[in-house]
Amino acid sequence: MVKRSWTQNRDAKAAKMESIASILDGKFVDTKNAKELFEEVIKPGDKVVLEGDNQKQASFLSKTLASVNPERVHDLHMIMSSVSRPEHLDIFETGIAKKLDFSFAGPQSTRISQMIADGTVEVGDIHTYLELYARLYVDLIPNVVLVAADKVDHDGNLYTGANTEETPVIVESAAFKDGIVIVQANEIVDKVPRVDIPGGWVDVVVPADEPYQLEPLFTRDPQNVTELQILMGMMAIRGIYEKHNVQSVNHGVGFNTAAIELLLPTYGEQLGLKGKIVPNWEVNPTPTLIPAIESGWVQTIHSFGGEVGMENYIAHRPDIFFVGKDGTMRSNRAFGQMAGQYALDMFVGSTLQIDQFGNSSTVTNGRLSGFGGAPNMGSNPTGRRHSTPAWQSLRPDNDPLGKGQKLVVQMVETFGSNKKPVFVDHLDAEEVRGEAKLANVPIMIYSEDTTHIVTEEGIAYLYKTDSMAERKAAIEAIAGVTPVGLRSNAKELADLRAKGIVALPEDLGVHRSEAKRSLLAAQNMDDLVKWSDGLYNPPAKFRSWS
Amino acid sequence: MLKDVPQEMIDRVKVLTGVELTDDDKAYQDSIQIQLGILLLQLFNIRQLKQAKQFPDAVAGHSLGIFAAGVAAGVISEDDAIKIVFIRSTKMQESYPVGYGMGAIVGLTRKEVSTLVEQVNSETEPVFTSNQNSELQTVISGSIAGIKKVLNLAKENSAQKTVLLKVPVPSHSPLMQSVADVLEKELSNVTLHDPSCTYLANFNGHAVRKVDGVKYDMINNLVHPVYWDTMMDVAQELGIDTTLEVQPGQTFTKLVKSKFPDFRTITMNNMNIDDIEFLLEKWKRG
Repeated sequence: MVKRSWTQNRDAKAAKMESIASILDGKFVDTKNAKELFEEVIKPGDKVVLEGDNQKQASFLSKTLASVNPERVHDLHMIMSSVSRPEHLDIFETGIAKKLDFSFAGPQSTRISQMIADGTVEVGDIHTYLELYARLYVDLIPNVVLVAADKVDHDGNLYTGANTEETPVIVESAAFKDGIVIVQANEIVDKVPRVDIPGGWVDVVVPADEPYQLEPLFTRDPQNVTELQILMGMMAIRGIYEKHNVQSVNHGVGFNTAAIELLLPTYGEQLGLKGKIVPNWEVNPTPTLIPAIESGWVQTIHSFGGEVGMENYIAHRPDIFFVGKDGTMRSNRAFGQMAGQYALDMFVGSTLQIDQFGNSSTVTNGRLSGFGGAPNMGSNPTGRRHSTPAWQSLRPDNDPLGKGQKLVVQMVETFGSNKKPVFVDHLDAEEVRGEAKLANVPIMIYSEDTTHIVTEEGIAYLYKTDSMAERKAAIEAIAGVTPVGLRSNAKELADLRAKGIVALPEDLGVHRSEAKRSLLAAQNMDDLVKWSDGLYNPPAKFRSWS
Repeated sequence: MLKDVPQEMIDRVKVLTGVELTDDDKAYQDSIQIQLGILLLQLFNIRQLKQAKQFPDAVAGHSLGIFAAGVAAGVISEDDAIKIVFIRSTKMQESYPVGYGMGAIVGLTRKEVSTLVEQVNSETEPVFTSNQNSELQTVISGSIAGIKKVLNLAKENSAQKTVLLKVPVPSHSPLMQSVADVLEKELSNVTLHDPSCTYLANFNGHAVRKVDGVKYDMINNLVHPVYWDTMMDVAQELGIDTTLEVQPGQTFTKLVKSKFPDFRTITMNNMNIDDIEFLLEKWKRG
């Protein structure tokens, strides 16, 4: 019997590294040799992780991958949390890649739907972020990972700074399992400000032709918050934050939640809630949080990623943010998602469609946008054991072994920006499932996890319903004049209000006439800069005020 | 319409098709004159752009426009485009002399329109969901009787606007199969090349990079809806942020502007080529 080798993966990696010896100087490969590097170390069929989430993109490496000779490098199995850039899909058209496991595809949602339907892309699955990261350690262990760093020293130590995001979770999955770790660097330096990834985990560094792509995706101009959103924010603060004594929260990023952030220092203050609600946050450093931070509402913020323009402000607020000794923020998307799933009292998000049962999805019009992080945070982790007052407040009182539940709140206006109803009998996602041949309907947040829905009409306390019929009635009661909402009637509404399953603004002591823009702690970007003591530096496209 | 077009190009149409483009109101009562006139104007625009060394990253034509798009992308020669459009327009005119056309509905989604179309469509009064110009602007195509019924239903279902279009042919519907059959035969004798840039196809809204996809579109786009809205989504996802519309008019620039307010747009209808060249070069420098 031939004795098997137990180091086949290590030997294969060594052979790959040997093949690039002529272009390798220490850990460094010249920018111009990047294509040759890829053609040597990436083999047909390899599992390749390409770093890119919705903010930071390893754009030099993705462009390089799209430039390789498809006769040498083909049929790759790509693992990407976010499909964002054109070449992320171009590589499937040219045959360089074949199979795709991903989380989010918002910026390429039309093309990805087309390419799945015509077989150009073979989808492994669509994941939440945590699931995708988890599988890197189980059945999607990568052969090669392609990541981005701000600064790299001569030993290959990486500084990834405020946008560390998912670099650690990706690199670790390859570095200890004979995968090859390839890094694009904005800058080569003698000494990195701090070591975010140790050089020992890194195989190859390529100086990039230009800095990695970074987008200010979480900046919302207060000027664009509407009075309807202010009304909904007031209802949410009274009917949910205050009622359930919520201490920790994640806000999905939209104008609804921006309104809440800007109402805390004003309306929240009037209600005497300061010091009583939401001191702890898992959220990106959104500029609209500045007034709540400055006026003492927010005590801690951990972030998935950075936000362009917030660097200097964060550096000066280390009591609030996670900041290294070097003075810059450290983010971590995997830990952030873990915290968001397990450690929070509440998730507040928005969506494009909610069906009559309370399931919601952002997949509409044949566009497959995927998930990202909302389903991790917008779900009730049944494995949770620790208790908080908000969590306990949702405990059913008729079950001796019962336990609490995470608050999962959807905030939507009953009609979307295209004047079409948000509340529908059936989600477009059901059709997309057929078109894209998916195993499951791409639902963002399931009805069973959704505890509250807030509209301009009122709040539905879905967790209090005890049958699907009652749940549907509660949704109808706040669905306005949409076809779903028109099924509600006055008697039903009165019953639901009496049971506390539905609350209208007047039930919460919220006066519609008070929902004015003047109630926002900041009216525009200029105000946010003033609140920040001049430390916040808005990106150019948000500077129309200056 | 053709006052700037060199006489040599107008003469070439006569040589290739026998049609004399007289460029007056009376001539434009005739749809063959209209189609050849528009094509020639667009071919002239494309010559102007080439001379100014301005080349597209992607081309998008709408119906007749795909032939100029094909020329701009180097797929088909000017002469072949003229010959094919002559045949196409002739066959279109012959196919349905009376009782057929198109209508437009604004304010309903394609899904909503399709539901209404299904209620009306029959063998005697055929009507089909056709072009998708924007999310809430859908064209229907078929018999005038069927179209009118759908337009009435659309009004009852609170469409903002319904119009019976001044088009005498049920374009972009299965009723055009006979024209596609002729074009298939004609195009089999024409040499076509792979596009030099991305070609956005009418019939399914996909990005096409090989000649086969363009050829299919040139033969068959009349039997399929023009998925213009999807074509624009795909263009944006490919990184396009600037559009240039050849003559005549600015219909498509308006659609682009309402869909992507941040896009930079140029219409050749109201800007001369020197200004266009200056602007494009300036934008390229960033």
